[in-house]
Amino acid sequence: MDKNLFLKSNKIEKITLVFDFLALAFYIFAFFALFNMLALPEVVDGHMQLDTLQFMLPIYNLLNVTFDKYAMNTMITLDMLFMLVATPMLVTNIKKLKNRTIYEIDSYTASAKFIQGIINLFSLNIVSGVLRIINMFVLVKFVKGYNAKEFFKSIFPAIKAKFKQWTTKKEKIDESKLDEYSISIKKSIRRQTAVSAIRISFTYIFLIVMALIIIIPFYWMVLTSLKDFSGSTSTNPAFFLNISQMNWVNYKVVLTEMNFGLYIKNTVIVAIFSTLGTVITTILAAYAFARIEFKGREVLFSILIMTMMIPGELYIITNFITVSKNGFGWVGMPTGENSYFVAMIIPFITSISYIFFLRQNFKQIPESLYKAARVDGCSDFKYLMRVMVPIASPTIFTITILNIFSSWNAYIWPRIITGVGGLEGQQYWLISNALRDTAFVLDNGRVMYNLQIAASALVTVPLLIVFFMFRKYIMNGIGRSGTKG
Amino acid sequence: MADFIKNVKGFFNKIGSAIKKFFWDIRRRINNVKRRIGNFLDKHNLNFASKFPGWAKALIYLSPALIVLAIFTFYPIINSFALVVYQNYNMTNDTITGYTIFGNFLTVITDDSFIVPASHTGSSAVINTLIIVFISVPISVLLALFIAAALNSIKPLKNFFQTIYFLPYVTNTIAIGLVFAYMFKAEGGLVNQFLSLFGMNTENLSWVESGAVFWRSMFVLIFYSIWSSLAFKIMVFLTSIQGIDKQYYQAAAIDATPRNRIFSKITVPLISPMIFYILVTSVIGAFKIYNAIVALFGVSGQPAGVDYNLQSIVMYIYKFIDGSNAGNLSVAAAGSLILFAIILVLTLVQMQVSKKRVHY
Repeated sequence: MDKNLFLKSNKIEKITLVFDFLALAFYIFAFFALFNMLALPEVVDGHMQLDTLQFMLPIYNLLNVTFDKYAMNTMITLDMLFMLVATPMLVTNIKKLKNRTIYEIDSYTASAKFIQGIINLFSLNIVSGVLRIINMFVLVKFVKGYNAKEFFKSIFPAIKAKFKQWTTKKEKIDESKLDEYSISIKKSIRRQTAVSAIRISFTYIFLIVMALIIIIPFYWMVLTSLKDFSGSTSTNPAFFLNISQMNWVNYKVVLTEMNFGLYIKNTVIVAIFSTLGTVITTILAAYAFARIEFKGREVLFSILIMTMMIPGELYIITNFITVSKNGFGWVGMPTGENSYFVAMIIPFITSISYIFFLRQNFKQIPESLYKAARVDGCSDFKYLMRVMVPIASPTIFTITILNIFSSWNAYIWPRIITGVGGLEGQQYWLISNALRDTAFVLDNGRVMYNLQIAASALVTVPLLIVFFMFRKYIMNGIGRSGTKG
Repeated sequence: MADFIKNVKGFFNKIGSAIKKFFWDIRRRINNVKRRIGNFLDKHNLNFASKFPGWAKALIYLSPALIVLAIFTFYPIINSFALVVYQNYNMTNDTITGYTIFGNFLTVITDDSFIVPASHTGSSAVINTLIIVFISVPISVLLALFIAAALNSIKPLKNFFQTIYFLPYVTNTIAIGLVFAYMFKAEGGLVNQFLSLFGMNTENLSWVESGAVFWRSMFVLIFYSIWSSLAFKIMVFLTSIQGIDKQYYQAAAIDATPRNRIFSKITVPLISPMIFYILVTSVIGAFKIYNAIVALFGVSGQPAGVDYNLQSIVMYIYKFIDGSNAGNLSVAAAGSLILFAIILVLTLVQMQVSKKRVHY
């Protein structure tokens, strides 16, 4: 093993990652630039002429090259695809570079590099592609000791050998020479393999069918959101779309004309503040229940646990009275005197189930650690911040993500709060309310399903992105909370 | 050149260490003062911090959570018992006309479309909810159990399938509900197209719009509620199946026990506490169904142009708080207390049974 080659390969990989990053930045920039260029239907009396949306044939001009709607759609779709491929590739490569040791390198690493290089070439990231292929040669030299020239020479014999391996048949054992016992054993082995093969294939078929049922709504959502109006209402809807027919303008209409930009902003504000509040109050309360000794701790905790089974509808009735005119006066006041955000955030800045969840986690940290810290003169708060929080950080992170999800999906409370305010309240809708209550209708009363579904996709896709980023935390959290609950 | 760089580096290092020293000095001095004050207080028996009782410290840590919980959780529980005894509570001017003990409960129970089917729609909230509970819960629990067992028996692609089955858990109920409603529409819908592949006449087959019959709409609702509740159950079953001691399976393998016997005699009995827990929580969840109905059929729970209603108990309750037409909140409180009673009974049953019965 030549260590210099390994270091050289790492160095090349680092340079490649810089170019990967630049390419990704370019893709994102290009996406926003192109998305910004998309032409919207004209506005008459403050009302967008949505029925002209699918018949528009705008001409775009970029760097003195003119192209039509279909070329634009193709460009955005390809850009989107490049982004989808480049982002996970960059992230996993950075992770791999950090953890890679000299013993892990084998010929598969080299071939993976080669495939990634080809993907890079296809996604117009030529520098990274070339660098990756050079890197492959370095790795080949590292693993097998071949030069680039010898490597090319060695390809043909290798393929030939592989082909020979496939074509040569296994030697057959002459069954007539075997005695009866071994024949019967052979038969039973054969039968067992057949049964297990059938069983495994049935298992997989069952799992695949169920997976299709789960996945098809998502696929149909993305597909419909890119169709035009007549495509989304035809009685014989297409199951595939040509990439030049993908109308990205739907999303732009939803974000601007349907005001979803504003609603997403509202939701993000509510999510951030309520999550911040939840994390702080939960950590403090869970610490008190887990470590501090005081009279009535178990009683108080069991009262909290008992309130968990009371349905939320019971709270909402009184809470609505509490936040409205006769209570705190956050909503239901004359226009301009309402504070909708406060009413949507404050009731949700703590959560009993998360306190319970975090307390279980804190309890697992050995008590001796606490005693040792106390002997060293560490105060309670310092101990919490320096020892408990870092140890329990995966759980706290899970709580953060789950809480952001639940504020993103909140429906009934924001609906009641903003429903009181009439037109003013509509400015404070969260996305779920907007999804249900926005009228995606044409002047003739027909619902524009493609826009409605595009809005749904706009709500769902960020959730999916966050899920795929932090899959491990979320799934572990759910599994554990379920088994303990 | 190299000399110059060395000089510059040395210069910056010096500045850095000077800054560090400055802050360390400040810190040392503060600590000195602290220690002196502490000594002084100890000498004169004035140090309250060391005598600080446990509950006072706990109160400081608990107060942020407890204040919010007191206002938005404990007070509502007490207040809803107060609301129930009010007669004709008016929210806008906070007035009542008198007191009654069972009046509001009677109003709910005898109300059109709560238990008694309403005259113009012929459907009641309780019957709708019970239909959903009794059909969707058994199907989803069984399906989740089978999927979890199947997932546990395979090696390749296991993580992939697990991730896919988990997807419904992280989605917005309203958003995917709209997609489901769209998929079952006659115009642009996928389901009718799929059925016509099998030669069914889907000319005027509507599921969620005018022309649909009660059971077709109900089918869509139950399908969606199963779809969205499957993820959590699969996850929990899978973790508990993986927690079973491998020795049982090894013993069964030595005896050449058939697969279905292993499933029914080892896997199911050993995770039976979890099955029962999931059964009860999903019954409770199905009793509280609301978002799915809103997403599929709109806020009133009635698809456009049909003469039946799909509202659930929770939807019935929310009708009284709904936006500007704030109605009689006492009746809503009575309805939610009835719901609470149902859930309480179920929870108590679960606690009792899981203590005694469920084990192998």
